[in-house]
Amino acid sequence: MSSLAAEPIITLDEVSRVYDLGKVQVPALNDVTLNVANGEFLAIVGPSGSGKSTMMNILGCLDRPTSGRYVLDGQPVDELDDDGLALVRSRSIGFVFQSYNLLPRTSALENVATPLMYQGVGRKERLRRAQSALERLGLGDRLHHIPSELSGGQQQRVGIARALVTEPALILADEPTGNLDSHSGAEVLELFGDLHALGRTIVLITHDGAVAAAADRAVHLRDGQIQEAVRE
Amino acid sequence: MKVTDLVGLALSRLGTGKLRTALTMLGIIIGVASVVALVSVAEGATAGISNQLQSLGTNLVTVSPGAVRTGATRGAAGSATTLTLADATALAGLADVQAVAPELTTNKLVVVGSQNETARVVGTTPGYLPVFAYQVWVGSFLSQSAVDNNLRVAVIGATTATNLSLTQASIGSTIDVGGLPFELIGILQPKGGTTTADDQVMIPLSTAHELLVGSNSVSAIGLSATSQDAINTVSAEITSTLEQRHGITNGVDDFSIATQAQLLGTVGNVSGVLTLLLAGIASISLLVGGIGIMNIMLVSVRERTREIGIRKAIGARGRDILSQFLVEALALSLAGGLIGIGVGVIASFGIGTYAGWGFIFNPATVAVAVGFSLIVGIVFGVWPASQAARLDPVIALRYE
Repeated sequence: MSSLAAEPIITLDEVSRVYDLGKVQVPALNDVTLNVANGEFLAIVGPSGSGKSTMMNILGCLDRPTSGRYVLDGQPVDELDDDGLALVRSRSIGFVFQSYNLLPRTSALENVATPLMYQGVGRKERLRRAQSALERLGLGDRLHHIPSELSGGQQQRVGIARALVTEPALILADEPTGNLDSHSGAEVLELFGDLHALGRTIVLITHDGAVAAAADRAVHLRDGQIQEAVRE
Repeated sequence: MKVTDLVGLALSRLGTGKLRTALTMLGIIIGVASVVALVSVAEGATAGISNQLQSLGTNLVTVSPGAVRTGATRGAAGSATTLTLADATALAGLADVQAVAPELTTNKLVVVGSQNETARVVGTTPGYLPVFAYQVWVGSFLSQSAVDNNLRVAVIGATTATNLSLTQASIGSTIDVGGLPFELIGILQPKGGTTTADDQVMIPLSTAHELLVGSNSVSAIGLSATSQDAINTVSAEITSTLEQRHGITNGVDDFSIATQAQLLGTVGNVSGVLTLLLAGIASISLLVGGIGIMNIMLVSVRERTREIGIRKAIGARGRDILSQFLVEALALSLAGGLIGIGVGVIASFGIGTYAGWGFIFNPATVAVAVGFSLIVGIVFGVWPASQAARLDPVIALRYE
């Protein structure tokens, strides 16, 4: 564990995010300091309103902290402009969403290939890589199905394939089992366990302690602050 | 992002909503088609008029007598009898004049057997044929010796021949002009243009003077200049020659000069205005089509807010989103433009065939129409596209 701690993939240093609603300032994250080691499987657990979504947006480089430092994969990202953040998302982050967020009317294959398109990978190469990612997740016979033709569990697996296809440093999952029945949910968590075993760094954000139990470590978020760190 | 990827995205998007795509393109199709068709109509009409003018004679300059002045009263133009055969002969000697045709026109009853008609009778010289661009169908035209010897010979226009049932076989027969017998020596080919141009009887000028009018004047002198460019020079030379011959020093001429160039110029001006007007009207429909595209693109950006959020989350930059929507708008307008050109070309072919000036296809119009539809796509696509590009991914992802 010490070797992993020596090379953190995420460093949050006193990160705060305050929403400016004109007359009132709403703090959503308050001086959060957190390290995630390379290859770690971390759960961030908290009830709604705890700042989970803000945490996800900051970690996912969709939003910038109001103050504090954020270093992802060796790169300070708190000062990057929109294009810079887009580049970090493209190269270093794979998102898995609660509601899958697949492109509608677009085949599983094209969905998984799309992140590679934004990296400038040629069409043949990206379709090849997308196909192999889908095959690894057991969707080899669903390549040309569009999302509405797939079950929730299958859609989420397409989503995971899309997150994996760019080989990102970080996989960021936001309530990945929230829309799934318990069987499919368990399958998805098992999948994360397998990915973790292969050395992937995974941050899973959830309100569900049972889901968080799949992770190595869980941190609890309440009122925008980290409450405790639990190591299993 | 590669251009091919952008085009692929745009085409697959347009393919998913075919009815919407078609309806959106319809505005551009109508706009471009009407630009192409109306410009073609304007050009066709202009070419038709120019052709008719050309058929009157190439590089034609017409000298007419001025008005008779009685005290302070000025008569109608052409009422004077100031032009003579000698004037015509003098003008024939000018440098840039190719041929000269003095003419003396009168109306006489022409009788052939049991048929008769009142025809325009033109006394003239051999120069009449080249100056007014006629061609002989059968027989021959008036020869110089016929003019020199006051022969009673006649050449008739195609319409006159038809009216009087005269054919090839009639060459050499006798026809009665103004009560006198003339030998028919030739029939001209029809040349179209004005309807009267083919309905006339031509006899030697000297014969006309002797038998029909009894004066030395001519009613007009037609000249053909050696080239279109020489027309202005010729006009000036005619003016100075005739002023000298008629002893005019105060600049008040007793003749007037009309040139083909003036007519063509006027026609050109009118048709230019006509083309501009029609193109203007057509451009309005193109504008409306463009607004239609903008409308649909704005709706599309709103509908696809979540898609934009997803694309941004998985690595799209603002400019990738901008290009995606812009290329979509361009594809809409360009496809509409190309179909519009097809429709416009078919329409102008139909109209041209119906109106009789044939099919006029101007590549410049097509280039302008394509360029215009591209500009429409960019102008009306850029705003919706930049709206899409500026969306905050956090908000867009939460959008339902």
